[in-house]
This record gives sequence, C-alpha cells and structure tokens, in this order.
Amino acid sequence: MAETQQVPVTVLTGYLGAGKTTLLNRILTENHGKRYAVVVNEFGELGVDNDLVVDTDEEVFEMNNGCICCTVRGDLIRILGGLMKRRDKFDGILIETTGLADPAPVAQTFFVDELVREKTRLDAIVTVVDAKNLAARLADSPEASEQIAFADVIVLNKMDLVSDAEAAALEERIRKINRFARIHRATRAGVAIADLLDQGAFDLSRVLERQPDFLEDDSHSHNEDVASMSFAAEHPIDPEKFNAWISALLAAQGQDILRTKGILHYAGEARRFAFQAVHMMADGDFIGPWPAGAKPASKLVFIGRNLNRPQLRRGFLACQVEPAAA
Amino acid sequence: MSGLGEADRLLRERGISEHFGAFVAAAAWTRDGSVCACALGDGTLALADAAGFRRVAAHDGAALALAPDLGPAGFLSGGDDGRFLAVAATGEITEIARFGLKWVEHVASHAGGCRAAAVGKKLHLFDQTGRAQKQLDHPSAVTGLAFDAKGKRVAAAHYNGVSLWFVASKSDNPRRLEWKGSHIALAWSPDNDAVVTAMQENALHGWRLGSGEHMRMSGYPAKTQSLSFSRGGKFLATSGAETVVLWPFTGGGPTGKPPVELAGGDGVLCTRVACHPEHDAVAAGFADGLVVLADISSERILPVAAPGRGAVSALAWSADGANLVFGTETGFAARVDFTKR
Ligand SMILES: [Zn+2]
Repeated sequence: MAETQQVPVTVLTGYLGAGKTTLLNRILTENHGKRYAVVVNEFGELGVDNDLVVDTDEEVFEMNNGCICCTVRGDLIRILGGLMKRRDKFDGILIETTGLADPAPVAQTFFVDELVREKTRLDAIVTVVDAKNLAARLADSPEASEQIAFADVIVLNKMDLVSDAEAAALEERIRKINRFARIHRATRAGVAIADLLDQGAFDLSRVLERQPDFLEDDSHSHNEDVASMSFAAEHPIDPEKFNAWISALLAAQGQDILRTKGILHYAGEARRFAFQAVHMMADGDFIGPWPAGAKPASKLVFIGRNLNRPQLRRGFLACQVEPAAA
Repeated sequence: MSGLGEADRLLRERGISEHFGAFVAAAAWTRDGSVCACALGDGTLALADAAGFRRVAAHDGAALALAPDLGPAGFLSGGDDGRFLAVAATGEITEIARFGLKWVEHVASHAGGCRAAAVGKKLHLFDQTGRAQKQLDHPSAVTGLAFDAKGKRVAAAHYNGVSLWFVASKSDNPRRLEWKGSHIALAWSPDNDAVVTAMQENALHGWRLGSGEHMRMSGYPAKTQSLSFSRGGKFLATSGAETVVLWPFTGGGPTGKPPVELAGGDGVLCTRVACHPEHDAVAAGFADGLVVLADISSERILPVAAPGRGAVSALAWSADGANLVFGTETGFAARVDFTKR
C-alpha cells in the first residue's frame, strides 16, 4: 500500500524550558536504530551537529478563504518537499515548533498540500509539558491548553520536581482538556523513544483500540476552557447526512473545534471509515474492516471550546440510517 | 503511438541515459549548450556531454537548485548544505558562498554579469568574480527567482506577491507586485512585460508591468510546479493538469481566453514543461515518467521517453534547442539529441 512509503512525521510542541530540546537531543544522539531529519526553529538550543538538522523560520500562511483558523506552515511545505529529495537518508521527520506556537497550522499543512499528503504522514503531535509550571502556563496563556488539546502524546516532564499527589492532579487537569492523548511521565525527558515515534498516534483507529472505555466519564463544559467530548452511534451512519452535518458544523464552529476524530460505520459498508479534522480542514478514508467479533459502531470525538454536548449528540445521532432510540 | 517500445525510440536511438538512484531536483545546460547537468538528491551533479554522464560530488546533503552560470561553460548550484557553488563544465567546483544551515533553494544568473542565490528570506547577488554585491530582504522566504531578459532586474516570488529589484540600483527599494496568498514559482515573459507566479491554491497569478493589470489563470487539479514561456512569449506553458496547459499571451490573453491543452488523455498529471527556444514547441514530462515533445500549432505529439522511470522532476533545453535533458524522482536522467541527421 502507498501508506507504507509515506514518511512518518512527528510534531514536537511545548513551551521553552519544558524539555523539548532535551528530548530532541536524546532522539538525535541515542542509539535507537533509526535516523530522523529534524526541523528546528531555534538551532542555537540544539548542541548537535547533524546534517539532518534543518533550520527554518516558521511562516504561517493564510489560505485564501480569508478565515483566521485556516492556516498552514508555508516553510514546511517547502522543507518537506526538499527533504523528499533525499528520502533514503532518514526513517522519519521531527518538526519542532516554537514555544508559543499554535499546533494547528502544522497539522493543517498535512491536510492541505497534495505533495505533503502524498509523501508524508502526520504520525503524532507530541507535547512536552513542565510538571512544575503547567498550572501557571494554563492560567496565563491559551497556547498552553491548545498544545495539550492537539497532542496525541503528552510527555509530563520534570516529575522529580512534583509530588505524587501533584502529578495525579496534573494528569487530571490534562485529561479535562484532552482525554484521548497518551501521557508519559518523565524526568529529564526520559521517555523511551520507541513510545513516541512512528506510533500512528494521529490515526484514531489505534487510539480507539487502546481505549475501549473511552466513552465513559465525559466532561462537559460550555465555556472558554478546552474540553473533549465523545459520542457513539449504534446504528449505521448515512454518509450523505454525516457529510452535510459535519461540514456545516465545522464551517460554523470550526474556529472553536480544535480537533475532530471519528470511526464511522457507514450503512452497507464492511470497512471502517476514519474521519478527522483540524479546525475546518477535514479528511477521511476507508481503513480496514472491523475487528473480528466486534459489533460495528460509530464513534466521534471533539476537542475544543464552547462544545454544546446535547446539540452535538443530537446532530450526530440524526446521521444514523435508523432513527435514534433517544 | 504504437506501444511503449515505439514511445522509447527517440531515447533509444538519440539519447544517452543512466539510472542514478537519487531524486533529480533540477536540470540545466551550460550557456554554450555543450554540457548538461542534473542536480541529484544525494548531493552530486551528473554532468553529460555527447559522450556520456559522469558524477561530480558537490553538496553534502541534497543538491536543490541548478542554473547556467554567467559564463559560457559552467553551472550554478545550491544545496541543503547551505553552499552556493560555481561548477565548471569540466567538473571543477568553486564555492561562491556558504550560508550555514540555511538551504540555497533557488539560483540564477544573467550573462551580463550577475549571479543570484535565494536563501530563506534573503536574495544574495554576486558578480562574476564571486564578490558579494547585495543582500535583498523579503517579507518571507523566496520561492522563485528570475532575471529579466536584459539582466537589469531580478524578480523574487514570496508570500503575498513578488518583489522586483534593479540589480544596479543604489537605493534597493523593490517594486512590489502584490497579490494575497502563497506564490511558489515564477516566470518572466521574454518581452519583460509580464511576471507570472504559480500559487499554492492550484492557480496562476500574473501582472502586466506596463499597465499594472492583473491576470488570473485557474482550473488546475494540482499545483503548478513548472512554468515556461514559449519562444517570443506567445504562450505560457504550465504543469499541474492532466494535459500541457498553454495560456495565450497575445490578442488580449490570457484573461478571458481558454488555454490550449496538449498531450492529454492518459489521466496522468503533467509535472514539468520546457518550451523550445527556437520553435513553438514544448517538451513536457508527466508523473508516470512519460516525456513528449508537442508542436503547439499542429498539436502533433512526438514521444521522447516511455512511462515507467519515475515522475519527471526536471526538464531543460539547451539554448540552441538542439538537446533536451530530463530527470525523474527515482533518479533516471537522459540527454536526447534533436539535431537533424
Ligand atoms: Zn478556518
């Protein structure tokens, strides 16, 4: 399949001082048997001389629909294209974002540009957070919660500086924003590299397989805090109804909805349909069949602000072919 | 066309070729037309005279950009090792400049005595001795580069437009051609009056320098990566569709005029175009590896190389139009002789 040829790309976000550079240095120097091309913004921070390190200036470009959330990283389109010219020299690509960066333009680049989509695959967004300072960061800047909201994997770093009780409270805080990311506790960014890279974590099907109980314990909030919500539909989904509903929803509320992921059981279809979106940019494809013995059922997850749970549930359930047993 | 064997006849009978196994990022000819070069993803240049190819180690990383140097028998090359090189047709290399970790993504020269290298947001100009002349700043990274026919001005494409700089000016205030969006490639018409860019959103934008008029050309299913004006500037040939799309630049065009479309029918994207320097004909390369020569007025298609050697990623005519060089993403490169026999 074409997918096996695509280069996995890992995006590394986190505030300055959270431990991002320590983690990058480990990935570049440790003997883990893989070679990574690394795209950085603050090269001075990195003490490694490596011909696979690329220095870039983040260039966030608006798409010409004029919407403020529909942005891409123009520099990455160029750099990923350039790296593809020596594709045989590395196994994967790591992109470091600056401390205050919104991860959305990076993720959206993988939806928008055809050549990027053809040759690379967004494997995971990894966010490094500083356990000691997380609460303060969440209080003083919206980017901190966005970086957690976008994460597929969170490295809760500097665990040596907090107590067990504080750590548990921090994890709960993170879970309120994003219940679907994997959390790794670490000291000096000491996470097994194999747990971070080439995991297919951006791919929802694996997330759902890992978290069969993900529908329980939903948080609900109708305010400016970022929260995550999930919904399940028992009956098959009508693709036309779903497309119409999700398109209208993302067009109207996509600035607030940071990420959407779903695995859908389309009526009369043996394969699972994987849907995902970053803000308004959406993408979907059929993936393999339902696991043997599992009853096909559709699941949909939203991470964002101002999520209206009853409204989202009604909308999703109305996409079912059979009327929902409300 | 009768089968793939026939489609390969020109390559077989009039070509020399080799498989280098590294992405061909760019191709160019020396100004005297004697030697062609392919810039490869492994950092080497593959130089070919009529006898055959040979490799020259140039960059530590990938060679990204290649152009004729200002003299008769040399090339300019840029790489992701940050080096800007003059490469003689003999293979001898002189480093003009070194830019550290930044990539040298576009290079160009004018025979009148100017060399240019685009590195991030900066455009660096050098004279024939290799002495730095100017550093010109842009609001974002330079994504395309071209001198006008006389070598008086150089155009640099970037986000939200194009900057035109007078090479010899003391003041260094550019004329900005503005259009919102991400411009990713650039061409300057032979009469110096039109500058056209390809955009991220599968469309072209152009400016008439005399009248200030804007031009929009759209309808592409994919990004245009390659733009080439025909001899005399009657047509602008473009990649990005499943045909070679040629916009008429005479008779009030291109605005409001339909493009001419050539060499379609296979449902495969055109990836590179290069107009013949002497005749109204265009060479085109496709995503399946097919290379053809299309006569614009008769619409006759002459196959040059059959599909199957990787997407065509570089294509260039020698200045006299006698020879064509092309290369592919999987590392195939060929030089084909079109002289009368
Ligand atoms: Zn938007």
